[in-house]
Amino acid sequence: MTPLAEFITALHGVASGEGEVITDPVRLRTYECDGLTYHRATPGVVVLAESATQIAAIVKLCNRYGVPFVARGSGTGLSGGALPRTDGVLIVTSKMRRVLEIDLPNRRAVVEPGVTNLAITEAVREQGYYYAPDPSSQQICSIGGNVAENSGGAHCLKYGFTVNHVEACEIVTPDGDIVVLDRMDPGYDLLGAFVGSEGTLGVATKVTVRLSRTPEAVTTVLAAFASIEQGGQAVSAIIGAGIVPAAIEMMDALSIEAAEAAVACAYPEGAGAVLIVELDGPAEAVERQFAQLTEICAQAFELRVAADPAERAAIWKGRKSAFAAVGRISPAYIVQDGVVPRTSLPSVLASIDRLSAEYGIKVANVFHAGDGNLHPLVLFDDAEPGAGERAETVSGKILDLCIENGGSITGEHGVGVDKSRYMPRMFSDDDLDTMQLVRCAFDPRNLSNPGKVFPTPRLCGEVPGVRKGVHPLVESGKAEQF
Amino acid sequence: MDPKLIKDCVHCGFCLPTCPTYVLWGEEMDSPRGRIHLMKQHTDGTPVTPEMAGHFDACLGCMACVTACPSGVKYDRLIEQTRAEVERVHVRDPQERAVRGLVFSLFPYPRRLRLLRPGIGLAERMAPFLERVHPSLGAMAALAPRVTRRQRLPRRVRARGPRRAVVGMLTGCVQGEFFPQVNAATARVLALEGCEVVIPPGQGCCGALSVHSGHEDQARRFARRTIRTFERAGVTTVVVNAAGCGSSMKEYGELLAGQPEWAARARAIRTVDLAEWLAELGPAATRHPLPLTIAYHDACHLAHAQGIRAQPRALLSAIPGLSVREVPDSAICCGSAGTYNIFQPEAARDLGDRKAKSVASTGAEVLVSANPGCTMQIASAMGRAGGSIRVAHTAEVLDASLRGVPL
Amino acid sequence: MAEEALEKSGVTLREAGPLDAVGDVLPSYVALPESVEEISALLRACAEADLAAVPVGGGTKLDWGAPPERCDVLIDTCCMNQIIEHAAGDLVVRAQAGVTLEALADRLATQGQELVYDGPFRADATVGGLLAAGTAGPRSFRYGTPRDLLIGITVVLADGTIAKSGGKVVKNVAGYDLGKLFTGSFGTLGVIAEATFRLHPLAAERAWVQTRLTPAQVQDAAVRLAAAQAEPTAVELDWPDPSGPVTLAALVEGAAATRRAQTLLDEVTSSMPGWWGEAGEGESLAEVRCMPDRVGGVLAALEGTGLALRGSPVSGRFFLRGDGAGFVPVVAGLREAGARVSVLASPYLMDRWGEVSALPLMRRVKERFDPGRRMSPGRFVGGI
Ligand SMILES: Cc1cc2nc3c(=O)[nH]c(=O)nc-3n(C[C@H](O)[C@H](O)[C@H](O)COP(=O)(O)OP(=O)(O)OC[C@H]3O[C@@H](n4cnc5c(N)ncnc54)[C@H](O)[C@@H]3O)c2cc1C
Ligand code: SF4
Ligand code: SF4
Repeated sequence: MTPLAEFITALHGVASGEGEVITDPVRLRTYECDGLTYHRATPGVVVLAESATQIAAIVKLCNRYGVPFVARGSGTGLSGGALPRTDGVLIVTSKMRRVLEIDLPNRRAVVEPGVTNLAITEAVREQGYYYAPDPSSQQICSIGGNVAENSGGAHCLKYGFTVNHVEACEIVTPDGDIVVLDRMDPGYDLLGAFVGSEGTLGVATKVTVRLSRTPEAVTTVLAAFASIEQGGQAVSAIIGAGIVPAAIEMMDALSIEAAEAAVACAYPEGAGAVLIVELDGPAEAVERQFAQLTEICAQAFELRVAADPAERAAIWKGRKSAFAAVGRISPAYIVQDGVVPRTSLPSVLASIDRLSAEYGIKVANVFHAGDGNLHPLVLFDDAEPGAGERAETVSGKILDLCIENGGSITGEHGVGVDKSRYMPRMFSDDDLDTMQLVRCAFDPRNLSNPGKVFPTPRLCGEVPGVRKGVHPLVESGKAEQF
Repeated sequence: MDPKLIKDCVHCGFCLPTCPTYVLWGEEMDSPRGRIHLMKQHTDGTPVTPEMAGHFDACLGCMACVTACPSGVKYDRLIEQTRAEVERVHVRDPQERAVRGLVFSLFPYPRRLRLLRPGIGLAERMAPFLERVHPSLGAMAALAPRVTRRQRLPRRVRARGPRRAVVGMLTGCVQGEFFPQVNAATARVLALEGCEVVIPPGQGCCGALSVHSGHEDQARRFARRTIRTFERAGVTTVVVNAAGCGSSMKEYGELLAGQPEWAARARAIRTVDLAEWLAELGPAATRHPLPLTIAYHDACHLAHAQGIRAQPRALLSAIPGLSVREVPDSAICCGSAGTYNIFQPEAARDLGDRKAKSVASTGAEVLVSANPGCTMQIASAMGRAGGSIRVAHTAEVLDASLRGVPL
Repeated sequence: MAEEALEKSGVTLREAGPLDAVGDVLPSYVALPESVEEISALLRACAEADLAAVPVGGGTKLDWGAPPERCDVLIDTCCMNQIIEHAAGDLVVRAQAGVTLEALADRLATQGQELVYDGPFRADATVGGLLAAGTAGPRSFRYGTPRDLLIGITVVLADGTIAKSGGKVVKNVAGYDLGKLFTGSFGTLGVIAEATFRLHPLAAERAWVQTRLTPAQVQDAAVRLAAAQAEPTAVELDWPDPSGPVTLAALVEGAAATRRAQTLLDEVTSSMPGWWGEAGEGESLAEVRCMPDRVGGVLAALEGTGLALRGSPVSGRFFLRGDGAGFVPVVAGLREAGARVSVLASPYLMDRWGEVSALPLMRRVKERFDPGRRMSPGRFVGGI
């Protein structure tokens, strides 16, 4: 028997409930990819996990049989982070979706990893609280996935990302131990390292998040500009004026067209770009900032202010559905997630334009302008020979542009399998090796979501501390340790 | 199954949280995204396995996923095509086949259905036996509502006051048999609002149940008959008060696409939901106060399949003294979905229980929806939980207000 | 041999004096590297000769943490004092580890910006020291602790490897976040050489309000302030004498600050209370952490002890300080009451860190980063 087959037999001892272990090939295939569909692999076996102890038992079995495991939440990741292993087990948390505790005096909620991001907010909204990080996929992405990806969202400009809102995590380590990582504990900030580690340091089984108080006032403004340059200037001016809005989002004409087709968001006609600016906080402060904002956006040919929550939702609807909506104007597309310093936005957007013209590939731009996080949607027709390759080239060149400008290849979607090959463009071997020391500490056997994040895995060596007494210059860190 | 339609799905997962079966089980294969993936597996050459068929069967056809999808995936078309394909190529196990056979020979035919009505007694007497043979059959008997009195509708109801329109009215098979009072209320409301109502006799099933279960041929036959009936009655607008019927009549054009002549005849008739029609028409009659707190439930085939959410709420809210409460998680199906509680009794019960809890949390006195199947399902779930609630169709509430009688 | 290896690294060295002691351990040399590469060369030399090293910035918190098991070289980052880049339009600054917070603040203020930190030693502490000790100030309640403001870091490991993570954009999830790992690591994983932070615009208007309460009133008042939609940036208490009343103060920043502040507490003052954000004086010093709804319990446990408490009841983070051996049982008592206590400095023998559930993992991290145990050995939790 293969290790996987033995593992599956043993698995029935720890996961016996109805429908928990999936081995039927047709069912297994429905788990072959996440939100990034061009990386696919049918998992060896899928477990719909029910509890931390069960996951710990599964991971212990993985260690016994040398079987790799991959955690999966809702499968909306856009970097192939939850791409399964054909020789491994996919541990799915979609049944672990209880909100365990809501503790308003301490502004916290404790939830299972499969709880969706939005469900947390819905559980506390009536009491005047919310969970701040708001990825566009918030109605479905799981908090476990958010933790793994350190997900952001439109409102992260002011409020920060998942890592800034997670207070503690219970995890199953790659050895199969249940450990609590708590911000309040003294010691290394392992929680900070775990958040954003894309499932390579273990499985989050319980997450304690911080809740934020609903702001007294929220003003959402939709400003339509004739061109993307004018929009970009407005962004710089807003930041320059010392305003920190809750969100500044920008969409170009092509992505407006897509959103319009999908949800009929009725953005001003003829806009070359729209900015969505949301101000929130104490009423007086918001009023003052709004006055400033109106002056700054003088170039806008239309300024629409949401008068009530319904109108605000209408403004956001176009933005939040923009990704998926691109399906309406193009048969296929690649979403990139590069980041550039905000001040480089205009020049980078101009370069993207040039790339687009040079390769005959349309690029729709919809992005978190406030923090320079671009989401270029590289559009192509997969029926057209060569189009896919050209789109791939354009999309790689966009990432190069980001790196050249001092930015990053990913702002919120993670590296996964998709961008691991770009990591060496951003980091040196030493940087990557040092990061992998963390990995070796957590997962010396390389069983937790192997093959993600890093282009080449580091062999950890079974006995840490082996370098003691060995001449350190010989092992200068570049050589992989065996 | 049309691979083009499948390709529209970008695998974003936005539809998952509104899918009742995903909400229940949290499994990819029982989510819209997973089902579309299964369809793709099939068009790529994987034969329909019993597992695959099971996941398609478990779909309620509630179309919540269509509303949720930003990519415009036509899941409604896809699942219809899939169901037809499953019926064509998949051999079910004998017992399942027998049950399905029985249901499809009963439901679309008013006279046969009548046999099931409590009061006639057959159902009650047979229930324990049916339950033993197959849980689905027990469910069917348990669901059949009591009817006190049959109400015969006239062929033509005159408009009160100046005539503003002439419309046809669909009586529907289930509606007509089990909830005749709803049809009566509908006719009165239309008349009070200035419509002359033409109610052709001898209407049968509109074909909705057949479409939703993959029996396309049967569905087409019913569709043609319905079109013919209303053509003869000389109306071009047909008002429908049952959400499921309305949504499938609106799709006759596509159903009959293979027969262009019929498709054209289908398109010549405009189907409107009662609430949609009344909202469009605007109020003429006086609304009398109804001091009530109601919870409005979105029937899937109204809210998702026809996109009608605002109109019924507006009509109800306009009644003086009446307060409308929103049901939490309103987008999620109650589990009744046509024949669903017959074929998937457990899932249907779980969904009913969930919905019952949400409805109970509103503290409303009356539960209103455009689909008696839903209200019946929810009310019985509330009963199981030891509570109770009065139920009514939107038409009945309007009727009470327009006539100034208590509900 | 040690001296030879160090000399060869080319880094400026001087003999250590009594003022260079780390706790009670006196190093042999003080090294004054001027660049990341020099730190790397120095640490390679240390590795070659198996010398233990302790990095130091402003020296403000050198008595924090346990004394090292051994210390041959004190790495003084005072010459690493360049502000490499202040990209005002991007609200980002990149600085070498030895830049003092005061120098940084002055520079940033010219563009109307700041690195939000108003905790202890906010003038003399260096960027590297701030991060290594992971101290937080009052305004971390709204802006987060230094760890939340750090967006990129360059570190040098015990074997001389120079590694960086993050970058100079505020949003970045490429690779593991070494910055978080090194923040609060007390120099036990390597030397922090450079750091990049996100900045905030300096608030146009500020107002403090305060009031005096009995200890029993504090928790409820704090919970109310934390939820206030007037959005205080910080809420602090000062309790110099635990037989007396507690001063509770809140800071409000931004538009209409004064008016908003008035809705919170009664006594409006335009200037910062003198004790704001300082750890205070005393023989022993500990950081106490607890949930906001345990603040009442912490205060009750301290009543009559003669120790002083200062810090944030809304973040649940305080400094406890005082003289005498009575400190030891109080720490134990607080832990029993559900608080986490880290004893930062004390002449008395006691469990400095309390129980840490993830300690085995932390040991493994240490073993990977510093298998030779040369970086500040023994200074941190579990003798790491
Ligand atoms: C239309 C669309 C819009 C999006 N918008 C945004 C956006 O605005 N901002 C943003 O940041 N992201 C966005 N995303 C990306 C995605 O939604 C996020 O990355 C999300 O956090 C993934 O959550 P998930 O539950 O789907 O995780 P999955 O895709 O299932 O998994 C993602 C990663 O997390 C790991 N993982 C999952 N659960 C656990 C666990 N319990 N413990 C450890 N590791 C785990 C997996 O192994 C994998 O590496 C978007 C995606 C789509 C499709
Ligand atoms: S129709 Fe309803 S049950 Fe079927 S997949 Fe869509 S949402 Fe789920
Ligand atoms: S929402 Fe639409 S595109 Fe997204 S997974 Fe569901 S069906 Fe596919």
